[in-house]
Amino acid sequence: MLEVNSPIGNIFHDKEFKYFKNMNFEKIKISRIDLEKRILRRKTDLGTDVGWKLDPGVKLRDGDIFKNKDKKIVLEQLPEKVISFKLKTKNKPELMFLLGHIIGNRHRPVSIQGEEFLFPIQTESEKELFSKLFGDFITHIEMTIKEQVFYPNSGGDIHEH
Amino acid sequence: MTRIPRIGIGGPVGSGKSMLIERFVPILAEKGYSVSIISNDVISKEDADRMRTNLATKKGLLPENLVIGLATGGCPHTAIREDPSMNLSVIEELESNHPDLDLIIIESGGDNITTTFSPILADYFIYIIDVAGGDKYPRKGGLGIESCDLLVINKIDLAIMVGADLKLMQRDAEINRKEKPFVFINCKTDEGVLDVAEHIIHDVLFGSLPKSTITQKV
Repeated sequence: MLEVNSPIGNIFHDKEFKYFKNMNFEKIKISRIDLEKRILRRKTDLGTDVGWKLDPGVKLRDGDIFKNKDKKIVLEQLPEKVISFKLKTKNKPELMFLLGHIIGNRHRPVSIQGEEFLFPIQTESEKELFSKLFGDFITHIEMTIKEQVFYPNSGGDIHEH
Repeated sequence: MTRIPRIGIGGPVGSGKSMLIERFVPILAEKGYSVSIISNDVISKEDADRMRTNLATKKGLLPENLVIGLATGGCPHTAIREDPSMNLSVIEELESNHPDLDLIIIESGGDNITTTFSPILADYFIYIIDVAGGDKYPRKGGLGIESCDLLVINKIDLAIMVGADLKLMQRDAEINRKEKPFVFINCKTDEGVLDVAEHIIHDVLFGSLPKSTITQKV
C-alpha cells in the first residue's frame, strides 16, 4: 500500500500544478463525503492501493495531487445530484431569508455560484419535498435538478441528514 | 499528542451494535490490538456496562476503565454529529492517558437510516442494520446506508422467520453502495464477524502491527 499524508498541490488552486489537468496521471474518484475523511483507503483507476492518513489540519479537495517516490496520483471528486435554483423575483429579502431557513433546517450544505444557488440531494423525489417546503414562494424561483461536482461554500459545508 | 484512529458504529435500536463490538473486539485483541470503547446512549449506560462486564471483567480483553458510557441526555445523533464535543473531550483524555491504544470504537444509537458520524469524530463509519427490520432497508438508501464505509447486515439467521430475502438485500446493497463493501453477519454464531474485523484492520489500521508489538520489537 502507498501511504500518503498530505497533498503536494492542487490542479485547480495552485498555478504550478495546473498543467497536470492535461496529463494522464493515475486518478482516484471519490465522493464529496469521503473527501471529509482523515483516514481513507482506495484504489486508483490503475489499481494502485492508496491509504491516506492525513496530517493534522489537512483536508482533501477535488484536484489534490499526491506523490510517493515517482508516482503521482490525482484526486477527482465525483459528481452528485443537486437542486439548483435561481430567483425569478429580485430584491425580495424575506424570500432569501425563508429559503435559507428552509434549506438550513434540512441541514444541507450550500453553494452560491453567482445568481445560482445549489444544495445536494440524494434522490430526485426531493424536488417535490422542497417544492412543498418552499410553499407559495415556489412561484418566485426556477428550480432544476443537475448532476455536477458540488463544492460547498465555506461555512456551508455542514453535515447532512 | 498521538491521534488514535477512531471508528463509529451506528444503526437502529436493536440492530446489534453492542453485540457486534462484543464479537469483533476479541478478534482484534487476539491479534494484539488495544482498543477502547465509548458507548453513547440517551440516559442509560446499560450497553456500556454490559460490554464492560463481558469484554473487560469476564474476558480481561481490556481494562474496565476503557469501556466508557456516555449518557448524552438528548438524541445520541447530536452527540456524534451536530455537536460531538462530549465525545471529543473523552477521546482527548484517552489519547493523552493511553497513547498506546490502537483504536477507539464509538458506538451510538440512531433512530433511522440517516445516521452519520461527524468526520471530526470518526475516521471510519460502520452502519449496522438487521434483517428483522425488513429486506427493504438497503433499497431505501439514506445517508447511513449509502455513505458508510462498511454496511453490516446482521441477524441473517432470522431471515427465513421474518420473510426477508437476503439475495434481494444483497442486490439492493450492491446497487445503492456501488463499490463500497457490505457484509452479512450473524453475531450469535460469529458468521461474518471476522470479515468486519478484517475490514477494520485493512481499511483503518492499514494492516499495521499492534503498537505493543512494535514497541516490543524496538
